[in-house]
Amino acid sequence: MSSIILPVIFIFLFIYCLFKKINTYDAFVKGAKSSIKLVIDIFPYIASIMIAVALLRVSGITQFLTKLLSPIFNFLGIPKELSEIVLLRPFTGSGSFALLEDVFLTYGPDSYISRCACVIMGCSETIFYVATVYFSQTKVKKLLYAIPIALVVSFVGVIVSCLLCKII
Amino acid sequence: MNIKTKLVIKYYMNKIWLFMMISGILVLLYTNPSQTLSTMISASTSTVELCINLCAVYAVWLGFIEIIEQSGLSNKLAKLLRPIIKKLFKIDNEEIEKMIALNLSANMLGLGNASTPMGIKAMKALDDKSGTASFPMIMLLILNTTSLQLLPTTIMGLRASSGSLSPSDIILPTIIASVFCITLSITLVKLCESIRNKKRKGET
Repeated sequence: MSSIILPVIFIFLFIYCLFKKINTYDAFVKGAKSSIKLVIDIFPYIASIMIAVALLRVSGITQFLTKLLSPIFNFLGIPKELSEIVLLRPFTGSGSFALLEDVFLTYGPDSYISRCACVIMGCSETIFYVATVYFSQTKVKKLLYAIPIALVVSFVGVIVSCLLCKII
Repeated sequence: MNIKTKLVIKYYMNKIWLFMMISGILVLLYTNPSQTLSTMISASTSTVELCINLCAVYAVWLGFIEIIEQSGLSNKLAKLLRPIIKKLFKIDNEEIEKMIALNLSANMLGLGNASTPMGIKAMKALDDKSGTASFPMIMLLILNTTSLQLLPTTIMGLRASSGSLSPSDIILPTIIASVFCITLSITLVKLCESIRNKKRKGET
């Protein structure tokens, strides 16, 4: 069902443009051209955050933090098996998806832990990645309360997700 | 340091990054110093790969977005979403409203990669060069750091491919959790903004 939505939208868009006599080819080329510049502009921001996260993971700091935090997580109803996902989710999308697949393999995709992990992934985003990329083209240095709110909401979301998976 | 700078919760990406780098390198220095540089370079390499992928994805989406723009459909979409955007962002600028409308609707369709270029453009247009994030900028960031996508298609696909018997049974809890998170984040942003405004008024 969801796989036909996009092609249908594209067809409607092209038919609409046909009636409005718009040069779709010229427009597409113009848009596609801006993609290279955009990626070059955001590359250094992504690279620096990825390097920092990689150092934290290779040095074992994340595993250490995971061990340190899991009793607290357990108290809040978050399974300790998910501590690493919860910890890394704000930083890296690909990393947390790799961890999700690990959870599937270890505990089976239909277990309580896997369902929790799915809901956690589904209602959250890679906060630091989004923040660096979105603000990369601005002069903003102070984000005020933005990151704390994003982190708090995402953490409350984790607790709610685990609770919901127990009930539903 | 005056009261204001002490009271306002400040956030510097610079400090967070520095802290992450120093702690990472210090521990590696003790455990495995030869891995420091290779880790950094391999992370950078995977970023190059990621960016090449992103470039491909953005080329397709920015192409379509330009068509949507020229056809005038983005104006219609913006008009449709205008009441909500005006209420949430408190802005009055048709160009920016259009970008935000595209960004939010791409997010809702689950097209994270299509929404990013519009989000970056909107952020750039909202920037007042003062160095501090304004209320609409923070609102836009918060809406993008909370998942607006109601149908978790990627995760359902992953579940199906790893042999789940009912990949869709996470839909209901995900929707409830997402709606909860979105409501909570909008409320918190509005609350923080009103506290900040009160403080500002109190000082002058």
